[in-house]
Amino acid sequence: MSLNMDRVASAFTFKGGMLPMTVMELTSADPEQIRAQLAGKVSQSPAFFQHTPVVLSVEQLDEPHLALERICAVCRAHKLLPVAVRGGTDPVKQSAWALGLGWFPPQEARPRAVEEAPLAAEPQPEGEASPAPAVGRIYRGTVRSGQQVTAPEGDLVVVGAVNPGAEVLAAGSVHVYGPLRGRALGGIHGDRQAGIFCKELHAELLSLAGNYKRLEDIDPRLLNQPVQVQLRDDQLNISSLG
Amino acid sequence: MAKIIVVTSGKGGVGKTTSAAAIATGLALRGNKTVVIDFDVGLRNLDLIMGCERRVVYDLINVIQGEAGLNQALIRDKRTENLHILPASQTRDKEALTPEGVEKVLETLSQEYDFIVCDSPAGIEHGAQLAMYFADEAIVVTNPEVSSVRDSDRILGLLASKTRRAERSEPPVREHLLITRYDPNRVTSGDMLTLEDVREILAINLVGLIPESEAVLRASNQGVPVVHDMDSDAGQAYADTVSRLLGEDVPLRFHEYQKKGLLSRMFGGGRR
Repeated sequence: MSLNMDRVASAFTFKGGMLPMTVMELTSADPEQIRAQLAGKVSQSPAFFQHTPVVLSVEQLDEPHLALERICAVCRAHKLLPVAVRGGTDPVKQSAWALGLGWFPPQEARPRAVEEAPLAAEPQPEGEASPAPAVGRIYRGTVRSGQQVTAPEGDLVVVGAVNPGAEVLAAGSVHVYGPLRGRALGGIHGDRQAGIFCKELHAELLSLAGNYKRLEDIDPRLLNQPVQVQLRDDQLNISSLG
Repeated sequence: MAKIIVVTSGKGGVGKTTSAAAIATGLALRGNKTVVIDFDVGLRNLDLIMGCERRVVYDLINVIQGEAGLNQALIRDKRTENLHILPASQTRDKEALTPEGVEKVLETLSQEYDFIVCDSPAGIEHGAQLAMYFADEAIVVTNPEVSSVRDSDRILGLLASKTRRAERSEPPVREHLLITRYDPNRVTSGDMLTLEDVREILAINLVGLIPESEAVLRASNQGVPVVHDMDSDAGQAYADTVSRLLGEDVPLRFHEYQKKGLLSRMFGGGRR
């Protein structure tokens, strides 16, 4: 089962990671307007603005060209570190690259219902500020290898099995009423209260708010048991529900 | 209207073509007008297994590109009435396989046949997706080992999302599990996953279980689908599979067959 990653000569290893990341959904391309709003936010919650990495999402904007450099400068002036741009036209992508930023393709057509109050005054450092109460998602059936089921807000409930090679993600907790054999990631926007619950633990990976455990790290006595997983002192704590 | 059955697996070498040949032959032997199509462009094997490789003139790609008529490309099986083979091209580029072309061929065949069996290439790329796209039913061929089970799981995910039925929100493709190369001895010794392990993970209806058998290799090399060899366990197991596909209730066999001298271990485990 070893991936043979500990070769002496290697200088690094590539690892897949799911890090909580704040997305700054731009609804205006005007750097001055952004500056004004940021200034207000900094006074509300200064703790959040400490070189916090952000992804600038320009999906909502309908402008082929952006003053990306100026927007980044405004962000940096307020101790936000733009690391990547999401969405936008090809020129936007090119200028992101030119500025040393990453570029992500736009998210697939998402429901726009909760976005009527963009960037509401939400002092918490959460991914996307949502004025509506978090609604979960219920998935019935087997989540199969290669499939990914996500609850971008709230909890995810899977009534069925999560098979090896499958991935289930939630902003809140992940509940699996069946065997959990794939990867389960809760609190993907950084919610440290989130948990993972399953009827039968055989997960390839468990992750809560960016902290993770691999199958190898899990006490074998807990395997195939009904368990709950919670975050305690940055450690995943797995306990039997039996 | 014909029923379109895709024989698929994700993983290569698990017995797709052998199964497609055996099942198509079995359906024809039961009086159903059947055609079996090789979708594995560039690695065509079905004609060898069916023993008609010397009679291939035109192939699926020729038909799709309008270089030959469907009736020119269809090869009538010598042993079995009601059975035709539509071979793949060995030389063409697999990109020549277009959805529109395949749809047209299937539509035309649908008028005349009861069953269209599509032998999918391995993998999850273009050819495999096209082979499954128009399917009404799918036979997912799986060996009792972890990598095969995982690939089958992946294919089941695609069947639920990347088929015409899924895209049109029609009733889903009926999925059947066919376990091949099952060796009860190696299951008992822990080398292979048990039938129950496989069924538990894939969670679909089991349509058949084919024991590991010398008859299969012999049949492949002779170009005679193994259902013709009704003395063999594999031949009988495929015949059972065909019966179940046709809706008959046939008890499962060969999942606890033991070689001589090992009878004592027979009841040790895996009995269900």
